[in-house]
Amino acid sequence: MLRLVLTRLAYAVLVMIGVTFVVASLIKLIPGDPVDIMAAGNPGMTVEDMDKLRHELGLTRPILEQFFIYAKNAVLGDLGISIRQRVPAAGLIWERLPATAELAFWAILIALAVAIPIGIVTALKRDTAIDYAGTVVAVLGVSVPGFLLGILLILVFSVNLRWLPASGFRGSALASIPSAIASGDPSIFWNAFRYFILPSISLAFVLVAINARLVRSSMIEVLQQDYITFARAKGLPIRIIYLRHALRNALLPVLTVVGLQLGSLLSGTIVIETVFAWPGIGRLAVQAVHWRDYPLIQAVVLISALLFVFLNLVVDLLYRWIDPRAHHG
Amino acid sequence: MANAHNLTPIDPADSLSVTLADPTAHPRQTAAAAFPVETAGTRIRQALLRSAKGMTGLALILLVLLVALLAPMIVPHDPAAQILEWRFAPPAWAAEGSVTNLLGGDNLGRDILTRVLLGARVSIAVALIVVSIASVVGSLLGAVAGYFGGVVDAVIMRLIDFQLAFPFLLLALIFMAILGPGFSTLVLALSFALWINFARVVRSETLRIRSLEFIDAAHSIGVSHSRIIMSHVLPNVLPAIIVIATLDIALVIIAEAALSFLGLGVQPPTPSWGLMISEGRDFLHDAPWMVLGPGIAVLLTSIGINLFGDFLRDIYDPRLQRL
Repeated sequence: MLRLVLTRLAYAVLVMIGVTFVVASLIKLIPGDPVDIMAAGNPGMTVEDMDKLRHELGLTRPILEQFFIYAKNAVLGDLGISIRQRVPAAGLIWERLPATAELAFWAILIALAVAIPIGIVTALKRDTAIDYAGTVVAVLGVSVPGFLLGILLILVFSVNLRWLPASGFRGSALASIPSAIASGDPSIFWNAFRYFILPSISLAFVLVAINARLVRSSMIEVLQQDYITFARAKGLPIRIIYLRHALRNALLPVLTVVGLQLGSLLSGTIVIETVFAWPGIGRLAVQAVHWRDYPLIQAVVLISALLFVFLNLVVDLLYRWIDPRAHHG
Repeated sequence: MANAHNLTPIDPADSLSVTLADPTAHPRQTAAAAFPVETAGTRIRQALLRSAKGMTGLALILLVLLVALLAPMIVPHDPAAQILEWRFAPPAWAAEGSVTNLLGGDNLGRDILTRVLLGARVSIAVALIVVSIASVVGSLLGAVAGYFGGVVDAVIMRLIDFQLAFPFLLLALIFMAILGPGFSTLVLALSFALWINFARVVRSETLRIRSLEFIDAAHSIGVSHSRIIMSHVLPNVLPAIIVIATLDIALVIIAEAALSFLGLGVQPPTPSWGLMISEGRDFLHDAPWMVLGPGIAVLLTSIGINLFGDFLRDIYDPRLQRL
């Protein structure tokens, strides 16, 4: 197991170095360079100023050297200065990361909380009207673009019914739980959580569809196993068989897929955060591209990719730890 | 998202593969035997008639294709014409609506139906170009990787692993950042993001086919590597490629809409569904139909393609029932 962890870790580090290299070289690929962009917003800049700035920023050095400087600074937490906001890019990202992380957390929670029961019921009621309804949900789930769903939810729940806010963020809902419990006032939690509801449902919908189908097929497969027949023959209550014997094994494949879904979730937040004016890194990425703020684009891409590689590593190890069969597989 | 549609490799006992191993067959016949034109055609037609999913999907796809093809001839108005009285004109189903603007008018007084119909051309064009590029490049690289193995395989596979470190839309954003938003960047970015879907499946299929006898036979009579890949390997992987291509078309249509929605795809005034939804977002309260028209168009198109793609997948490998 230790050996496996180390190989995986080494591989992840290798990919991370590659990602950093690509990100550091990005600046070489754009037409012009960051100094040209700064100069465009600052007509007083002379050619000498520009050359000086290029030299200071290290843009005149060979690409490999630039990469090492970038990597060294990145390890030290310096991801460059945002051209537009004139503050460290790393700071901008740290400010926004918690909002994105919590949005993703609620989305996965909602996705699993809805998908698992749907998956179980559609597996047990196979080929009935309930199962067909599940199929319809699944087709809709993979077909509805997240941003469209988000806008339709705003139209219904914010514009027409006026139940939930159409956009914005009022602090972490998770962080408000302790004070809500301490003061016995659930409205403290609700005031923060209501802002999460529509964006996290928009993010979760496609995951509900995919996971519900996955739980269904995995459940159907598990229910045909001998040990289930044996448990039945033993006279165990059906509820215990379904929930304790079958579901546990049926959920294993879901775990791996949830890990892979983190990538689509990151893609999803780019769009959904823009729809709901959410102060997260997805929206920051879009803004950075619109502003042509290259240091910020580099920083966002680097952090997102590293985060994604890291999360996949964690899920992979977690899966092997939970499922002993994977050790030998 | 990009990863959601990957097929697992089918096993050699699969009905499709058993027909392959005929060493005496002429290359063309080999291809036909793998996916026999007549019998497969009949089989698909029969399955289609029995499948509500397949028929609905096909009907929706044909409808969208027809619209895209005939759009310039059937649009009721000029897509760019801005007519003051049509500003926020309600759609036909609303109380004050009229049949002049069936789906209503937008904030600039343009007819929404006209723009939705023309938007189909943009969506379909992007999807077809992207999927053609991604499937050709991806399949070739996948076949080369699987066929030659060794260093070539290792390099291509590491490239794929590495690319998987970037979430789909993030990858597209990088392209937009470097090349600036626009139609060609959009096509390039999405093709680049999608080729791995094809490469992975074609590689694993090629690995399986390579070990079959008819490849050895072709070798022994001196057929060249490139010829074996083109006429023996790829035709046998074609069904898998077709299934992925179909599902990826839906993926591209959604991605195009999403990127145009973010202002990073098709640029105004070209009518694009994503762009129209983005423009309508600011007027949700007063003119929700600005979002509904293009929204329903995206939805019906992607539902149609997903239904048909799943139907094809069910035929290709009945064990892989995603839906």
